[in-house]
Amino acid sequence: MDIFGDLVMGLSIAITPINLLYLLIGAIVGMVVGVIPGFGPSAGLAILLPVTFGMDPTGAIMMLAAIYYGAMYGGTITSILLNTPGESATVASTFDGYPLAKKGRAGPALVMQAVASFVGGTVGVILITILAPMFSQVSRSFGPPEYFLLAMMGMLTLIVMIGNHWKLGLISALIGFALGTVGVDLETGQGRYTFGSAELIGGIYFIPIAIGLFGLGELFYAFFVGMHKSGSGGIVQYDKEAAFWPSAEDWLSTRMTMVRGSILGFVVGVIPGAGATIASLMAYSTERSMSKHPERFGTGEMAGLVAPETANNAASSGAMIPLLTLGIPGSASTAVLLAAFMLWGLRPGPLFMEQNPELAWGLIASMYLGNMILLAISVFAIPLFVQIIKVPYRLLAPIIVVICTLGTFSVHASFIETYLMFAAGIVGFFMRLYGFSPAALVLALVLGPLAEEALRQTLTISRGSAMIFLERPASLWIIGVTIVLVVVLPFMSRHGKSAGNAEKSGT
Amino acid sequence: MRIAFLLALLAGGVYYTYVAFIDLNFLTRTGRLGPGFFPRSVGVMIVLLTIWALVDALKEGREAATNAGLWRDVAMLMVLAIIYAVALRVFGGFVATVLYLAVTLSVLNRGRPLQNALLSILVPVAVYLLFDRVLNASMPPGLIDILPI
Repeated sequence: MDIFGDLVMGLSIAITPINLLYLLIGAIVGMVVGVIPGFGPSAGLAILLPVTFGMDPTGAIMMLAAIYYGAMYGGTITSILLNTPGESATVASTFDGYPLAKKGRAGPALVMQAVASFVGGTVGVILITILAPMFSQVSRSFGPPEYFLLAMMGMLTLIVMIGNHWKLGLISALIGFALGTVGVDLETGQGRYTFGSAELIGGIYFIPIAIGLFGLGELFYAFFVGMHKSGSGGIVQYDKEAAFWPSAEDWLSTRMTMVRGSILGFVVGVIPGAGATIASLMAYSTERSMSKHPERFGTGEMAGLVAPETANNAASSGAMIPLLTLGIPGSASTAVLLAAFMLWGLRPGPLFMEQNPELAWGLIASMYLGNMILLAISVFAIPLFVQIIKVPYRLLAPIIVVICTLGTFSVHASFIETYLMFAAGIVGFFMRLYGFSPAALVLALVLGPLAEEALRQTLTISRGSAMIFLERPASLWIIGVTIVLVVVLPFMSRHGKSAGNAEKSGT
Repeated sequence: MRIAFLLALLAGGVYYTYVAFIDLNFLTRTGRLGPGFFPRSVGVMIVLLTIWALVDALKEGREAATNAGLWRDVAMLMVLAIIYAVALRVFGGFVATVLYLAVTLSVLNRGRPLQNALLSILVPVAVYLLFDRVLNASMPPGLIDILPI
């Protein structure tokens, strides 16, 4: 079947009333998660994953995906109105978003960010529609050596992007790998680190760790930085402004910015480990260097808001490509999405789209609809999210603890897993505090067992020779791309971050 | 505190590596990679890198003093969360959640007893309806059943 036919089939699945309802719930929840400072899509997905257990897999995956990309829409509202990014991918949106609001243009900024997010998200989904089947075709020739190398590529790129704290990032990833070895070794049947416990035979379950690290850990950290003491007093009152809608100049001056931001964001999103934060910073810096008036950036330039917004949404779409076609998550959020797929016995990879066309194309089609829903919500439900911003953190915090706890328990009705979640929360706080990377740990926990299995299969095929990695053309390509990424990405990231720092310091 | 955290990590890493070398074979009887191959490699790397990070931390010296008040808030939130975990086992999901919210909100949100009382009742009711009734997922059962839910 051709792509268009597949998409129509997907649309017929996504458009059922119940799936539309799930999509709407996912979009709203995603925006709420994005609005709450300190909580990004990984936390939102991990915390809400247990809620989807009673649902049909297609609806559940659509809802979770909507939470994932919806968080990018919500995160910007606080960036613009409060100068506080809802999550790291919307940091770049504060550079010009908040100055725009201070200039009395919060309304146009909010509408333009919604449109930019919609364009970025939709261009991202169009590119997924075209490229995902092609990626699936290419990846069909991949064997265990390529899968091992891809898993390593994802980890390495994530670690080099951490920058100065790479050592701590690597330790975090190794802890994830170590946790991934707990349980029965599938090849020999020998128990590893189970210490006679029946609960550990199946291994350390991913969800309590993810909820603990991203949910509780982030919450404790938010308390540590005093978020519960700072209110929403500085919020810009956009409803008293003269003009809510953007001017013709806003639309015309940013049309190419949207195109550039979308493509750049998508490409960066496809690269495992790079992600939406880097994409948004890079788009901002690229836009500034291409602008005829770079001096206006940081003072309330609409292109300075539109560029990171299109890029972070396109990047979150781009990150779906390696997830769907290779089964390799490139970020913590897509790792949680992979865990969601696995919960329903689905294994993303080269044959996933062919073997599960309804689900795969239903998901892709739902992303078109989801972006439309999010555009409408972002423009017309701003007052609702402003009210959410005003809910004090000291009230939200205990409620989040309750949801994390009962959500974790509901997965397997296990007290051990609930205690594990609390332990992960405390460890997650210290990791965050001292520069470790909870995202690298979670990604390694998912990728570790895949990587180990692939490596052992590879060395069995090659009778113990590592030369197999250099003998297969596909492996050589992956090694080449990994080397290029490991060398180039830190430069690109530094370039983007330096642009961000320049804005912050007002130069 | 950072050094203590790194030392704790190092201790965990050393123990993980020790078990990998003592209990898990590097190769299987047929000469293929065994269950110990990956844990041994990972364990050794954890130990070496943690020692490296520890040396760096010691060279950097004392960390900047942080606001003691913020540490107190985080510690309090952690302790309350741990008490909640224990209370879940004893009193079950619903009652433990009511108690946890009542205590935590009375500490964090002082001077608003009515708001705190309402939240302490309404949130557990909403969560119970969502998990137990809508999603058919069980709430933690308690050793002491105060309420029949």
